[in-house]
Amino acid sequence: MTQKITIEPVTRIEGHAKITINIKDDGSVEHAYLHINEFRGFEKFCEGRMVFEMPLITPRICGICPVSHHLASAKAADAALGVEPPRPASLLRELMHMGQIIQSHGMHFFELAGPDLLLGFDADPAIRNVVGIIQSNPTLALQAVNLRKFGQEIIKTTGGRKIHPNFAVPGGVNKALTVEERDDILSKLDENIATIKAGLEIFKGWAAQNVGQINEFAVFSSGYMGLVTPENSLELYDGKIRMVDKTGSQLELFPASNYLENIAEHVEDWSYLKFPYYRKMGWPAGVYRVGPLGRLNTCEKIDTPMAQEEFIQYRKMNDGKPIENTLHFHYARLIETLFAAEKVRTLLEDADILSKDILNTHHNYQGEGIGVIEAPRGTLFHHYWVKKNGQIEKLNLIVATGNNNWAMCEAVDSVAKRYVKGPDVTEGMLNRVEAAVRAHDPCLSCSTHAVGQMPMVVDVRDLQGNLLNTIKRG
Amino acid sequence: MAKPKVASDWLCGCAGCHMSFLDIDERIVKLIELVDLRSTPVTDLKHPDASGVDVGILEGGINNTANEEVAKLMRKRSKILIALGDCAVFGGVPAMRNFFTIEESLQRAYIDTESTDSEGQIPSSPELAKMTRVRAIHEVVPVDIYIPGCPPDADIIFYALSELAQGRMPNLTEEKIMWN
Amino acid sequence: MVTVTIDDKKIEVPEGTTVLNAARKAGIEIPTLCDHPQLQPYGGCRLCLVEVEGARTLQPSCTMPVSDNMVVHTENEKIRESRKFVLSMIFSERNHFCPYCQVSGGDCELQNAAYDEGMTHWPLQPNWQPYPVDASHPFIIIEHNRCILCRRCVRACGELVGNFTLGIEERGANSKLMADLGTPLGESTCIGCGTCVQVCPTGAMIDRWSAYQGKETEVESHKTTCVGCSVGCSLDVLTRDNRLVRIEGDWEGTTNQGLLCEIGRFTPMGEERNRVLTPMVRKDGGLKAATWDEAYAVIADKLGSVSEGNKQIASFISTRLPIESMYFFKQIFKDNLKAKTATIVNGYLKGSRNLVGEYGMATSLDDVKHADCAVVIGEDITKDHQVVSFFVKRNLPAGTKLITVSKEKDGLDNFAHVSIKNVKLADAIKQLASDLKALEIMKASQNLVFIFGGHAAECEECTKAMLDLAKQFSAKLLNTYDGANGKTAQLFSLVSTDDFSKIDAAYVALGDETVSQAFTQTLEKVPFVVVQSSYISSLTANADVVLPAHTWLEQNGHYMNMEGKLSEAKASLSAPESSACNADILKNIAAKLGLNISADWQAALQ
Repeated sequence: MTQKITIEPVTRIEGHAKITINIKDDGSVEHAYLHINEFRGFEKFCEGRMVFEMPLITPRICGICPVSHHLASAKAADAALGVEPPRPASLLRELMHMGQIIQSHGMHFFELAGPDLLLGFDADPAIRNVVGIIQSNPTLALQAVNLRKFGQEIIKTTGGRKIHPNFAVPGGVNKALTVEERDDILSKLDENIATIKAGLEIFKGWAAQNVGQINEFAVFSSGYMGLVTPENSLELYDGKIRMVDKTGSQLELFPASNYLENIAEHVEDWSYLKFPYYRKMGWPAGVYRVGPLGRLNTCEKIDTPMAQEEFIQYRKMNDGKPIENTLHFHYARLIETLFAAEKVRTLLEDADILSKDILNTHHNYQGEGIGVIEAPRGTLFHHYWVKKNGQIEKLNLIVATGNNNWAMCEAVDSVAKRYVKGPDVTEGMLNRVEAAVRAHDPCLSCSTHAVGQMPMVVDVRDLQGNLLNTIKRG
Repeated sequence: MAKPKVASDWLCGCAGCHMSFLDIDERIVKLIELVDLRSTPVTDLKHPDASGVDVGILEGGINNTANEEVAKLMRKRSKILIALGDCAVFGGVPAMRNFFTIEESLQRAYIDTESTDSEGQIPSSPELAKMTRVRAIHEVVPVDIYIPGCPPDADIIFYALSELAQGRMPNLTEEKIMWN
Repeated sequence: MVTVTIDDKKIEVPEGTTVLNAARKAGIEIPTLCDHPQLQPYGGCRLCLVEVEGARTLQPSCTMPVSDNMVVHTENEKIRESRKFVLSMIFSERNHFCPYCQVSGGDCELQNAAYDEGMTHWPLQPNWQPYPVDASHPFIIIEHNRCILCRRCVRACGELVGNFTLGIEERGANSKLMADLGTPLGESTCIGCGTCVQVCPTGAMIDRWSAYQGKETEVESHKTTCVGCSVGCSLDVLTRDNRLVRIEGDWEGTTNQGLLCEIGRFTPMGEERNRVLTPMVRKDGGLKAATWDEAYAVIADKLGSVSEGNKQIASFISTRLPIESMYFFKQIFKDNLKAKTATIVNGYLKGSRNLVGEYGMATSLDDVKHADCAVVIGEDITKDHQVVSFFVKRNLPAGTKLITVSKEKDGLDNFAHVSIKNVKLADAIKQLASDLKALEIMKASQNLVFIFGGHAAECEECTKAMLDLAKQFSAKLLNTYDGANGKTAQLFSLVSTDDFSKIDAAYVALGDETVSQAFTQTLEKVPFVVVQSSYISSLTANADVVLPAHTWLEQNGHYMNMEGKLSEAKASLSAPESSACNADILKNIAAKLGLNISADWQAALQ
């Protein structure tokens, strides 16, 4: 007789998830499932809207990374209307995007994942959160808050507000950057780079103390995918999509417009989140990971000096081969944050960043357009079919975290099997299972284009559904 | 006197309102001196205290059976219930799904979309919640305070919470009301 | 005069004043939605309900006339509850998604009304019945989900523009805005003037280009004059970061009172042409970039020698250019170089004289606005000078009569009481003089206006016939003139000829026009051509010297409209550094030619 443990909700992630763990008679885990439990339907209810509204509607998919949708949507609209933004507009959009990477990655490391690392997986759940960090290390907490604030303020400076800004329009952006605004951002850059570097030291310190855990916690092979520059450097805003296999050899290099030839989505009965995979290798052989771990395995270098130095050290860990350890998502995430901060300086020092040539109004209607961007959590695709009169005929979205769905399920299963022993399942065991999900920094609102929630109660039931034990958090 | 207990949860929304809450930045240090943050999506306590909380906050509207349960539980355990953000207040952007049937939306997402492979199916496991019409919180449980916005500005959220923390009902007028 | 007390303030107002306007006079603002200062009160939204002592229920202040000793209260608990209820009903009726609407956050009168009442939510939920988006029109989009059925657009389309395209179908909860009898807007009789967009209080009627470009608090407003035709409508040009966002009619403009036609409001939004970025001179077989000094030197040299050698210069000026430019042009080319001159109107060459102009008869647009009979001769004012047609059409329901006299079918025929056509215009006018019905109408009229333009103003026979008729019936005459500064061009005698055979050199002060193929071909054989232009075209490609000029949005200057009224145009955008002001270019050429010219155009026009 096997038991079923339910973890509902999973906390300290964005969105709604539920984990069920089937336990065999001998107490070992037979299988663990990650159910993403919400669905909204953006791919249907946006039909009929005007294409120029999409950069304002689609950010409502997610309140943590609305900028990713805002920009991917504008790029899809650009393509569908056949209008290329002037260079200054692309620089400004990229600036907003870097602000977002900094705020989202920063918040994830310090406030969502950080408590596990700084306070311990087994710490009392009542304090194992951002409040606990504030109380145990107020200086660090303030630095973390300011790092997020810095990123948010870049978004507000460009788009008028921090969440769901109004900036990118088809053909460009609607506001130029002033000298004062540029200088204000530049003046705050160094102190925030220091915070990111502090984060890197914290992680490396923790990693040194927890080598065993890092090497046992959800370590598995997969393909990897991310945007790259023509020289295969890390790219977060533009560029082509590169896919590599588990050894790091290139499988594909394609522009956004060819995504359908290369990516398909698989559906399982037990989750509202679909499973993207590499078409040519089929399901499930073609699974791949995105986001920080995926991107730093896909690129070969980073174009900014401080991040490149960290990258070299990072990739040395597996002799230059792809890094497979789930917990290194956190390490990769911080390196990307450093890259984004350095990129902010490069962009602000570009002669075109203050230009008023920010909108191209010459349209050359194409009818269909695909916009791609690297959201903090992974590659994001917006694909619009637009009627001649400007209304959306239909749309398809593959949203960032969704690309990691298989990986998260695999991680949950792997960690459950390694750490959970029934029937006396401890809260700390379950937190580790959640941490497997958490490392991916999933944005489940995004990925189900629906809303997710992460509450959690653990019921231990037998297969007949009889309640054997209940572990509650909170 | 014990600090007022505050619990929150998010339903059919995008987490933007909670992110806007975090945009109070360093004021969070002051806030946690005044209130006891209990279960929230960014802490590890999973449900509002069985013994009850003083203020319950719900972001997002109600679009499935799981949301209904969470909303009812939060209402039951909260002295004061806040509907935070446009989704909670009136349904928000997700309410556009009400223009179509649920079947149409599921069909498009899980079968007809161009990237979904030929084995697309509509998920139907009993572990998953059942979809319903998208509704505002107040259509399911009574709400005491409405804070509209998409999301409401951090200053407005901070004002409301600090008023409640000091035992007063927040008075949202003029620039403290925003629906965009 | 009647005395009325509003919120304990006692005031005196003329009989017939509405309670709403009386309150305004007392400094009290009552919230409204369907009300608009330019439109007849409608009383549909019920937001303006107030308490009138003695009345059984709350009364709509926008439609209710004051009576002597009336006592009114505009603020109390009952009224506030009523307003909240009205707004709640409006929000529940359709689907208002404030989160992403482009007017949300300051530019929506509905949202602002709700904020004023302190509404943090809608007590009544909508039932989410979907409404369509009509995106069939090239300029205007109708988002029915946001419509509050205030009928401002319907009333404006009728009362202000006289087109009566918009209406409401069905009744009660099924009421819906429609064009004609339910046609998509882009296939209807809509003339694209956009007045509906300007009066819409919500985001229900929007234009295609200005979406999300900036809210009212984020854009700059520039008052200037339209140069689309000789009506000279007052504009409010909205810009942001030196970029054109939207053009609106200035409600305070005395000529147009907020009205615009599609040419003034929307045509400039679709600008696709490329700018001339540098002066260019033809050498070694091709056009090469040059400095201003180089270009001026070549012009002075070539034009100077042509005039000294007794050869013939032709000069052309766009009527979109300001009086300042025209005056310099006149002095240089007509007075000094003895050039043949003509104007460019809408890309076409316009030569020959305006005879009626020489007779000096003109009336004002006010007379058109109050005419009880309008006779339109020789031009289709639904194509050109469209706002004049609005003034005529909108009075038809009140009994104003309309007679059209033209060579071919035109856009007013459907509205006309008598419509006379003849391929020979002079004969058509003679027909008018013998048409019994038309004669009867004209005889009965007390404010008769003849509106004429085009051919009617150029052909001697037509003009004579028309003037005789006008005298006979004591009609006032309004010549529409062609082009924004068409009248100025006439007064400066710049419209002198249309014979351009045997020309040795040509100067084209093109401004921001694009000329027709025919005009371009006319100049192909001319040995030396200078073009002063904002945009690249086949004309500039064939020229010998090209001078980059400012567009209408980038320059200051004066315009004289068809009534002889002067108005000022002010720059709304900064021009590219390499281009120059049209008047300055001409001044510099005069200097290079050694000519002493005056800037006192005011004196010259006296």
